[in-house]
Amino acid sequence: MAASLATKRPFLTLPFLLPSLSDSLALGFRRNQSSYRRTKQRLRVKPDSSFSPSTLEHDHIIHNPPSSAPNVYHTPSKFLPADDVRKASSLSSTATVNVDELPGVYKSMPERKYHLTPSDIEEIRKLRLNDPMTWSRNKLAKRFDCSPVFIAMVCQASPEKREIQARVLEAVQSRWGPKRRMAREDRQLRREAWGRDA
Amino acid sequence: MKRLQLQRWSSSVLAPRARTVNRLHQHIYGQRYQSTVSPVQARDDQTAAIFEDSTTQDEQLAQIVKDSHTRRSHLQYPSPPVEAAQQSAKLAALHARLYLPSRLPVQTLARALVDQTADPNPNFNNASLATLGHDLLSYYATEHLICTYPRLPLTVIFAAMYAYAGPKTLAAMAREWGVEMATLPGGEVDPGLLQFRRVEPGSEVETGSSRSARPYEHNKLWRKTVTSKVFYDDEFGDPLKGPGMSAGGVTTEQASAEFVRAVMGAIYLHAGRAAAKRFFEQHFLSRHLNISELFNFRAPARDLTRLCARESFERPVAKVISETGRHSRHPVFVVGIFSGQDKLGEGAGASLIEARERAAVAALKGWYLYSPLNVRVPSSMEEPSALPWKPVHVDLGEVIV
Repeated sequence: MAASLATKRPFLTLPFLLPSLSDSLALGFRRNQSSYRRTKQRLRVKPDSSFSPSTLEHDHIIHNPPSSAPNVYHTPSKFLPADDVRKASSLSSTATVNVDELPGVYKSMPERKYHLTPSDIEEIRKLRLNDPMTWSRNKLAKRFDCSPVFIAMVCQASPEKREIQARVLEAVQSRWGPKRRMAREDRQLRREAWGRDA
Repeated sequence: MKRLQLQRWSSSVLAPRARTVNRLHQHIYGQRYQSTVSPVQARDDQTAAIFEDSTTQDEQLAQIVKDSHTRRSHLQYPSPPVEAAQQSAKLAALHARLYLPSRLPVQTLARALVDQTADPNPNFNNASLATLGHDLLSYYATEHLICTYPRLPLTVIFAAMYAYAGPKTLAAMAREWGVEMATLPGGEVDPGLLQFRRVEPGSEVETGSSRSARPYEHNKLWRKTVTSKVFYDDEFGDPLKGPGMSAGGVTTEQASAEFVRAVMGAIYLHAGRAAAKRFFEQHFLSRHLNISELFNFRAPARDLTRLCARESFERPVAKVISETGRHSRHPVFVVGIFSGQDKLGEGAGASLIEARERAAVAALKGWYLYSPLNVRVPSSMEEPSALPWKPVHVDLGEVIV
């Protein structure tokens, strides 16, 4: 009786029986028997070691905090003064990773040579003062085998050269459209926000 | 189920609707317009009652005469008289709301509400109380900050001081305490209202002539160092200002701040040091201030290198702790800054440079926000049976590049 009633109802009036639109779109991502094992393998993440049954005899607390940025009010043990009790406690000294194995931010750290003598520095200053157009920071750095930052620390370009450079920069910037100008300003603002931790 | 017949009971429950008056009603009672309605005057009723009731005539007449005399006597003073403080409900409510010590009389609280601009007589305005309260607030806030965070840079201390005891905070506190302002000061206003003469709208707000003792004050272009601000400027690092009243008025913010300072001074005078300190802890220190947000570094990586060199730690090195999506549109890098095997700070960012800068900022904040255990402030030695004083941690000072 019930079956005959159900057949009488038109099929299209029962939308929940039809596959929904989102289902038909997600058909490619559906888990089938063929892909079940691969999905399962990917989801199989090794649990944290503290979840495994403990080998200790006494009771202890399992603490697995969610991953988040460290609290800045938690002073690193290296920064604690010598008379602080926390310095000696074992809680603060938990070195879990070997730092030397971690990759650096830069591909290669520049090696510091400290090879320039005062006479070299005098020569850098003389060259930059006498012929600033030829002896730019980069050229001086290449010749004396140091970084351009070091050249900037040691000497300064003459005021005329700085004025010329400012005019060049102004000419370049005058060709910028509104999009590029705004993008550059935004980049500068973002950079300043890093220092405020915003 | 039957529907509720709302019309049945709506007239008795809901507000009465405007009833159209029929002709007969108008004829009998006459028509009364809003313009002819006289305002309710209690005094007039009382006067009318005197003529009706001849037995109590003398006393009531005497009372009216006395009332008018006191009103006239109130009008001749610039601020409410001392006797009026006992009658004010607002004042009693404020006293109870702030949970002020009972040794502090309402009369003093009333005096704390009278600004210098409302009553120039120093015996009746709050100027002297405010001066005392200001010194106490600055002292307690400074000792708390310096003892709790001994490594804070001076600029951050100035900002934190402004956040704890600055005029904007004090004005906000007065608003939270529910202190209302009188429109104009005078002897007849309720003593529970804050009385001050406002700045005329449209008038130029003078910043006040600088009365700094700085020897090179006239050279506006000269750089003022942060250290010189300790000597020459006020506790917020701002230049000291003379009385900056434009046309004899003050802003609401200034008047509210003066009132809060005066309350602090009054508590100190009437109830003593312990009560004043408790009041400070309950109303000022209890306000949440995240000091880590007050920092602004321009070159954090360089500062951290200088710091490590000064403290003879190993040179800080930035290392990638984890990363995801390096070749995608939204990569995330987690960079840690290590000195030797110790991690100083950790930061996440969308580029390696950003993550490194953020990590350096975190490391520097970790250094500056060091707080010793069991902090004691110097004023805690005033308590009876205080333990012997142990010197607080004194730091070398901030990193100077």
